[in-house]
Amino acid sequence: MFDFGIITSWIHEFLTSYLPLGLATFLECVLVGVCIILLYVVIAVIMIYMERKVCAAFQCRLGPNRVGPWGTIQLICDMIKMLTKEIISVRKSDKFLYNLAPFIVILASVMAFSCLPFGRGMSVLDFNVGVFFLMASSSIGVVGILLAGWGSNNKYSLIGAMRSGAQMISYELSASLSLLTIIVLTDTMQFSEIVMRQQDGWFIFKGHIPAVIAFVVYLIAGNAEVNRGPFDLPEAESELTAGYHTEYSGMHFGLFYVAEFVNLFIIAGVATTIFLGGWMPLHVSGLDGFNHIMDLIPGFIWFFGKAFFVVWLLMWMKWTFPRLRIDQILTLEWRYLIPISLVNLLVMVIVVVFKLHF
Amino acid sequence: MERNRSYLGKLFHGISTLLTGFKVTGREFFTRKVTEEYPDNRDTLQISPRFRGRLSMPDPQKCIACGLCQINCPNDTIKVVSQIITDEETGKKRKVLVSYDYDLGACMFCQLCVNACPHDAICFTTEFENAVYDREHLKLTLNK
Amino acid sequence: MDNIITIDKYDFHDVALEYKEQGYDFLRCLTGMDWGEDGLGAVYHLENTLTQENVVLKTKTTELSDPILLSVCDIWKGAEFYEREIFDYFGIRFLGHPDMRRLFLREDWVGHPLRKDYDFSLNPLRMTNEVTADMTQNIEVLKDGSVIKKREVLFDEDEYVINIGPQHPATHGVLRFRVSLEGETIKKLDVHCGYIHRGIEKMCESLTYPQTLALSDRLDYLAAHHNRHALCMCIEKAMGIEVSERVQYIRTIMDELQRIDSHLLFYSCACMDLGALTAFFYGFRDREKILDIFEATTGGRLIQNYYTIGGLQADIAPDFVQKVKEFITYMRPTLKEYHDVFTGNVIMQGRTKGVGVLSKEDAVSFGATGGTGRASGWACDVRKRHPYAVYDIVQFDEILYTEGDCFSRYMVRMKEIEQSLNIIEQLIDNIPDGEIQVKMKPIIKVPEGSYYAAVEGSRGEFGVYLESRGDKFPYRLKFRSSGLPLVAAMDTLCRDAKIADLIAIGATVDYVVPDIDR
Repeated sequence: MFDFGIITSWIHEFLTSYLPLGLATFLECVLVGVCIILLYVVIAVIMIYMERKVCAAFQCRLGPNRVGPWGTIQLICDMIKMLTKEIISVRKSDKFLYNLAPFIVILASVMAFSCLPFGRGMSVLDFNVGVFFLMASSSIGVVGILLAGWGSNNKYSLIGAMRSGAQMISYELSASLSLLTIIVLTDTMQFSEIVMRQQDGWFIFKGHIPAVIAFVVYLIAGNAEVNRGPFDLPEAESELTAGYHTEYSGMHFGLFYVAEFVNLFIIAGVATTIFLGGWMPLHVSGLDGFNHIMDLIPGFIWFFGKAFFVVWLLMWMKWTFPRLRIDQILTLEWRYLIPISLVNLLVMVIVVVFKLHF
Repeated sequence: MERNRSYLGKLFHGISTLLTGFKVTGREFFTRKVTEEYPDNRDTLQISPRFRGRLSMPDPQKCIACGLCQINCPNDTIKVVSQIITDEETGKKRKVLVSYDYDLGACMFCQLCVNACPHDAICFTTEFENAVYDREHLKLTLNK
Repeated sequence: MDNIITIDKYDFHDVALEYKEQGYDFLRCLTGMDWGEDGLGAVYHLENTLTQENVVLKTKTTELSDPILLSVCDIWKGAEFYEREIFDYFGIRFLGHPDMRRLFLREDWVGHPLRKDYDFSLNPLRMTNEVTADMTQNIEVLKDGSVIKKREVLFDEDEYVINIGPQHPATHGVLRFRVSLEGETIKKLDVHCGYIHRGIEKMCESLTYPQTLALSDRLDYLAAHHNRHALCMCIEKAMGIEVSERVQYIRTIMDELQRIDSHLLFYSCACMDLGALTAFFYGFRDREKILDIFEATTGGRLIQNYYTIGGLQADIAPDFVQKVKEFITYMRPTLKEYHDVFTGNVIMQGRTKGVGVLSKEDAVSFGATGGTGRASGWACDVRKRHPYAVYDIVQFDEILYTEGDCFSRYMVRMKEIEQSLNIIEQLIDNIPDGEIQVKMKPIIKVPEGSYYAAVEGSRGEFGVYLESRGDKFPYRLKFRSSGLPLVAAMDTLCRDAKIADLIAIGATVDYVVPDIDR
């Protein structure tokens, strides 16, 4: 497998040979920052296009097809529209919090995004408690949503924000528990290490039953965490018009919108890394020829391929089910998902202790 | 009965109903799409011949300017302007149509004018692309 | 012509109560009237839900400056909105009514438009916003017989009141609810109608009979055929016209197609309101097929404009029979798909079962007919109660549920699609030959008298009350809207429900706003 770390270390050596270490590190930070944000935007655009096309296909429609081939230019037009629209500020709103909220949401999203290992050596933040860091940074987003609801001085927004507070904090639990299930299996929290351990088989296969259950629970909880249907109560357009972002327009709304889609991608990316082997190709023990062919496909294609497949699964879920009610959401979490993930964690411990995994 | 279902029974029942839903949408994902690509399919677009797009007067000679359509219109959409001329050969007086004014913007396509017309001088055409930029353009004179 | 019993205005409440005790528990229609010199009054159509007997009562007051009648909203709950409507149109105040506000028009409207002496120039187009009043007034009788006006507060200042509507994705049009919340729980709901009020009843008073038909399609646009059927039937009944068998058959088939159309739209919208956007498209995809059938025959998709007095606008299209048959064979398996993707879904069942329960007594008392009434166990189908067209010769079941919750309201409509398919299947091969239009005089005049005719619309009984003075214009034309009693019941339905339940209730009660506002 090609190691992207060669390129990064080459850049590092190149820079340090001309510049003092501090300046070189600073330049690298800037470079990485720019790359991450560019990737972020590109992923957001791809996700929005994919959402439209996939949801159209589920609904017997064609989706955008007027602007450009297969409607691809449509997204650029939408972006330009979003960027040029006036940002309306609401009278009697809390100006500071109102303007701050979208940035908190996007900040949380970018921070979580930079944890993802896209390929071998192709990760920005990679340290020994990576999974913890990801969970922690992605939960900052709820603060932004609460602030948006509070700061807009709108009753719909406030109800939406309250709902999302209750929902996101609850679902954080089962999402973390299902990740912990796999961490029991791997005994590491470093993303690169987690991927390396899956060289001889993805965890969803290695951990068999408890891993599959954890995968399903994680998808449900993750979907709920990013406020997407059937858990889109905070914005529930048929009840609260647009929930917490009712009063936002222009790029402020755009930030929420983009963050929502990239958060979805992050959930899929984490599921890919933890359960589906990240950038690791599909290896079947015994078939060396097959494994060799699989190795020829670069790691990041594996990663994005798997991640977009998971995204497609989540979209399938969103476009099939009706929205839950607030009490049902909490019932699902506290009566079903948490007990299931706790029991599942216990099963996984037993599996690991008695070496029942592959 | 449903209330007595056990915890696990409820869980599995719920999952099975959700999977049924997945099955339906999953199948629809691959079926033929029904979108009408409207401006591109103008050639193949089928509109029923009875569709009421706008009023028209194919042959103004048929109109005898009796004004029945104007009387029957609930919205005062139609205005028949006529004048009385004397036929030079026979010397009889005859009403002829000067202008048949029709306000498409006020028409509610109730067909009473067409029903009332004794000589079938007016009819509805299937032309449906009636949008214009100015209300004035909706005021039509049909006999020209 | 209806047999009307006139009752003195002072005795009216007692007489009404007597009728109620005799079993006349359904107030079909309540019409305000201005008889000119004879005074102002109201006409009450009552029905005994057990025996299907009807009685028409009438009461009036000759006091024109401040007319007062006795309220019957403690006897029939549905009367509350009807009386507000009459107050709005005629200025008649009802004693004992708890909430005497205007129903459709603005609070600052001058005069009462359906009075014959109403001056149009009093109400120019106002460019200011209407201020929503948080107060209402009612009139009470004191023990010594004197009358006082009382003001009452609708919403306190510290209540958390949110507006659902008029521009809201879940109100299916421009209906507005003001909802007082406690957390997510609804404590009180106040309906504001009239955002799409066009004064169709007033307009009809200056239109000839054929012209009034054009407006009927624009009431409940999902029951265009039904509305027109009722109006045509009423006029035909008044004039004593018998339409041919062929017309009756075609009308019945069209009515049932329209019912399927409406119920498919109901399904779609219920799915969308509950968040299942994909199922929404499936409903619309299949509704399109009905609209194509309609378009081929009537030339319209939404505004059909098909029935005329004494017949039909045109004969059915040549491929009508074949297309309808194709549709029936297509629709049956598709219905199963609907049930798979939405009805059986555990989320949907959790959101609708046991939510928004309307008891049978309440349904009758509000006059909530149609699917809503049948879900509560009230056999209120006009097609069975007072068969018209050829409903007496076709076999079909009246779908009845007893729970009265959102799920049963939903299921009633889904099952009715199947019944409608059955009805069409029985008729489609046997359409007899015959005239499609009875020869009419050029100017249609209806003999003097008052007439009531009702059909089963897509969402309940749609009635037409016509009072004629023998002119070519109706003296008073009242449309008994099927939606108004439904929104009148909304407050009862939504008490202590969650705000998400309001959406589910609104979706399954299935009101259509132009029909409420008229």
